[in-house]
Amino acid sequence: MSKTDEVPHRFSKQGFSLEKAIRFFFASNAGLTIVILVLIIAFLLKEGLGFFPGYRRELEVYRIAGLEFVDLSRSNLTAHEQLSSVLNRAYFAQINGLCASELKRSQEAAAVFNAYSERSAATHDLIVSNLDAGIAPDSEMLATLRQNHAASTRKALAELPATPHLTRAERAALIQSIATREVSSKDDPPLVTALAAQYAAAQQTHAEPLAGLRGTLDAFDAAGTDLSALVSEMTVAVTATKEAIQAGDVLEKNRTTLVAAAAHAKTPAAREKLLADAQTSLAAKTDIDGPMQALMLRKPACIAAHADLRQACAGILDGLPAALSQPEAERLLRVARKAIPAFMANLEQAPQRIGQWRHDTPVPLTAAIGSFLTGKDWVTGGEWQDFYGILPLLVGSLMISLVALCLAIPAGVGAAIYVNQFASRLEQAVIKPVIEFIQAIPSVVLGFIGILVFGSVLRDISQFDSLAWVPGFPIEERLNIFTAGCLLALMSIPTIFTLAEDALNNVPAAYAEASDALGASRIQTSFRVIIPAAFSGILAAVLLGLGRVIGETMVVLLVAGNRIKIPDFSSGIGAFLQPSHTLTGIIAQELGEVPLGSVHYRALFVVGILLFAIVLGINATAHKFVSRSRH
Amino acid sequence: MNNPESLIRTGLPKGHGKDLAVRVLLAAGTYLIVIIAALLFCKIIKDGAPVLFTTKAPYVDLGFLLDKNETLHVFDDAQGQRHQLPASKYSEYVKHHAGATIYNEQTFSYSGGGIIGPIVGTVLLTVGSMVLALFFGVSAAIYLSEYARQSPFIHAVRLAILNLAGIPSIVFGLFGFSVFVLAVPVITSTPADRSLLILPLFFGDAVLSFQGWNSSLMAGCATLACMILPVIITASEESLRAVPQGFRDAALAMGATRWQAIRTCVLPFSIPGILTSSLLAITRVAGETAPIMFTAAVAAKDDLPWQALANPFDLLASQVQALPYHIYTLAARIPASEYTQRAQYGSVFVFLILVASLSFGSMLLRAKLRSKLKW
Repeated sequence: MSKTDEVPHRFSKQGFSLEKAIRFFFASNAGLTIVILVLIIAFLLKEGLGFFPGYRRELEVYRIAGLEFVDLSRSNLTAHEQLSSVLNRAYFAQINGLCASELKRSQEAAAVFNAYSERSAATHDLIVSNLDAGIAPDSEMLATLRQNHAASTRKALAELPATPHLTRAERAALIQSIATREVSSKDDPPLVTALAAQYAAAQQTHAEPLAGLRGTLDAFDAAGTDLSALVSEMTVAVTATKEAIQAGDVLEKNRTTLVAAAAHAKTPAAREKLLADAQTSLAAKTDIDGPMQALMLRKPACIAAHADLRQACAGILDGLPAALSQPEAERLLRVARKAIPAFMANLEQAPQRIGQWRHDTPVPLTAAIGSFLTGKDWVTGGEWQDFYGILPLLVGSLMISLVALCLAIPAGVGAAIYVNQFASRLEQAVIKPVIEFIQAIPSVVLGFIGILVFGSVLRDISQFDSLAWVPGFPIEERLNIFTAGCLLALMSIPTIFTLAEDALNNVPAAYAEASDALGASRIQTSFRVIIPAAFSGILAAVLLGLGRVIGETMVVLLVAGNRIKIPDFSSGIGAFLQPSHTLTGIIAQELGEVPLGSVHYRALFVVGILLFAIVLGINATAHKFVSRSRH
Repeated sequence: MNNPESLIRTGLPKGHGKDLAVRVLLAAGTYLIVIIAALLFCKIIKDGAPVLFTTKAPYVDLGFLLDKNETLHVFDDAQGQRHQLPASKYSEYVKHHAGATIYNEQTFSYSGGGIIGPIVGTVLLTVGSMVLALFFGVSAAIYLSEYARQSPFIHAVRLAILNLAGIPSIVFGLFGFSVFVLAVPVITSTPADRSLLILPLFFGDAVLSFQGWNSSLMAGCATLACMILPVIITASEESLRAVPQGFRDAALAMGATRWQAIRTCVLPFSIPGILTSSLLAITRVAGETAPIMFTAAVAAKDDLPWQALANPFDLLASQVQALPYHIYTLAARIPASEYTQRAQYGSVFVFLILVASLSFGSMLLRAKLRSKLKW
């Protein structure tokens, strides 16, 4: 082929050819990944950054309408109610502890009767409703129904709960009275009534020596009445002010939109019309000074009510008994004693804070950012005031990840070491596919298992008396941090296992051979040579597992319990058995329900940005370790 | 190890008991994982298999697979007989037994009928997103493996792939919602108020309005495709690189252009590998819930996606049910009771079979491929 024969391509003069076009096509597809990443970041920021000015305005309204002033008093009122409730629980725990045997007997008898009623309710109600409808009691249909009822009664009586605290004779009598019970009867069986009466009598007897404590508690309860009345009175007033300000904001926003539209209007007539509309939308300046002055007049009353509360609180310290005999009551008493000094300190500061509070202190943007990053409340959709504090969600996410990693690191890394170092070929051929297969289980299926099976199983296990020493047992909520952590551990084990095994595999064979030649045993070679050599790879595996755990949504949404509250660490490690909410879960739960463009909507995008940053940071660290392990 | 010299020198290695203990401990941990996984499957199979399989021919409850999803009505008739009927059959029953009293009626949303809607929706979402992701992903991989040399652009692409792969699925959900649902351009004559930007198109009264595709099949497919793109690129690039360099050199030496060499001597040999690894990607796409929650999925829908459409393109613009979202709804939004178990475990069982067969198929194919293609 000689060059002179070749017909030049018609594009070649412009420096363009099909080959170049193809190359450009593939290059642009590769560039698509950059475009997507940039779009993700841009749109997260676009929606998210508007959050802080919007939230600042909300906080400003919170202040100038006086809601913040009311909350100064309300926080102390809530603390008072909580303290009072703990003390009352201690009181009743003491009494119930003293008549524990009566309580249990009464509960067991009632449980037997309830179990029976629940199971035979369907057939029983049918008979009753037919009788009420006026069908002759001796009709054929009722005979069938009675037969059905007898059958379901027999079946229910065969599966009654255990009654360890009732004697055999009592149980037999109870069953007998249930079996012979009239369909129309509305009374409880005699034994249930009798045991309930016994229990009430025992309560009475044990309450008598505690009459002094009761008096103290009642006095303490009553001390909050003044403040409570004040707070509810002020609440009504400030809510009205807030609504007026918000209505004004909406009008003002409409006006700005209309004026902007008028600037782009095509015809002068349309422009005139838009401007006229804007004029009608001009907000009358909301009167905030009047209500505020009225509110400020209440300052002395608030301060006086706080002084009363403080006095009552000081009084209760003397009135409380030194110790209570029942362990649960004693524990609650200790909790209360621990809480009292902080409460007192708050009460002491209150008059000063109330006195110095001013509605016109400016709210800077940093206050909104600070309130988001360090706020302990995520309250949305309430009538009072929305708060967007990230801490409860962040703490929930971190605690769940901690549980998951504590379980997944030993299991995943251990399995990797075993499979890579000790397992026979046959074992490898079984274990590897199974663990890889776990990875294919969709997370929503794991969440489903958690909500329907695992949560209940865990709670049932925690009910055993022999396990009562475990902190946090028995579990109150079947969906909690620990349940979610367990399932996430199962989910991250394959990631950790696969990557850690790869890292172990990548250790040059010469290391093992050299160690072997020096006379090291198999286990010495594994733990002193191979694992240290693969350490940074294993660390990367763990970090990538962590990234997966923090970013996982469906399992935590279904299983973590979704209570937006920082877990109560006063019960120590039992805090891990409380429900919680997470960064990922809150987005999934609330994004579908918020109005587009609202502050709440934007807050969810800020949570997304935070999540994005956390996971990206973790992954970047992991990849640093990976590249280090390769060199 | 059975190093004979060390045995001669020292007898059995020191610390043999400790050695054994560590091994047993590690083995116990490993098998615990295997056992937990097995228990999990057994539980789902035990409760789910009876829903799908029957003892009578044809041994499969086709109704569960092929019926539409409905509300379940549970009630007693006057004879004390308990009935469980999906909404359509229930209204028939009521019509048939006019005047009969019904006792203890309870209704359970989403629990009656079958799951054809979610199955079809998941298939549509999966196919749509895989077509998109394979097209763009394989093209990108061809560039990375065949054309690219070290350059800042390639470095940026690799960084982007690495970062995209780590982004949590819920963030993809946020992204899909704010971009595909609310911001991508559409051609319309009636732009929405929230449109970000309106460009005139100079024909008719149509304008290009950046108002998004709403929650729809195509928004869901696009979101899922973005999510799976890094996985497809990485896997495809790996199988492209597995084709020996000699194939390319030979083709180029014969005078082929680079694209001809790729088309005839590289792609045909890497396609099996690409498809195998994309099976794994399918399991991920089919199983994800978070990205489609706000972009495509709907809990209840009366018609199948292709029914009651004004024109075929509306299929892409309509919302669909999806199996993972259906399971989420069944697990989270309705109270658990003995009557909802059929729908719950049945759906999970069908879903798991689907995912398991895909993932198992990919494992088999990979093993086969490894033994077959050896250069």
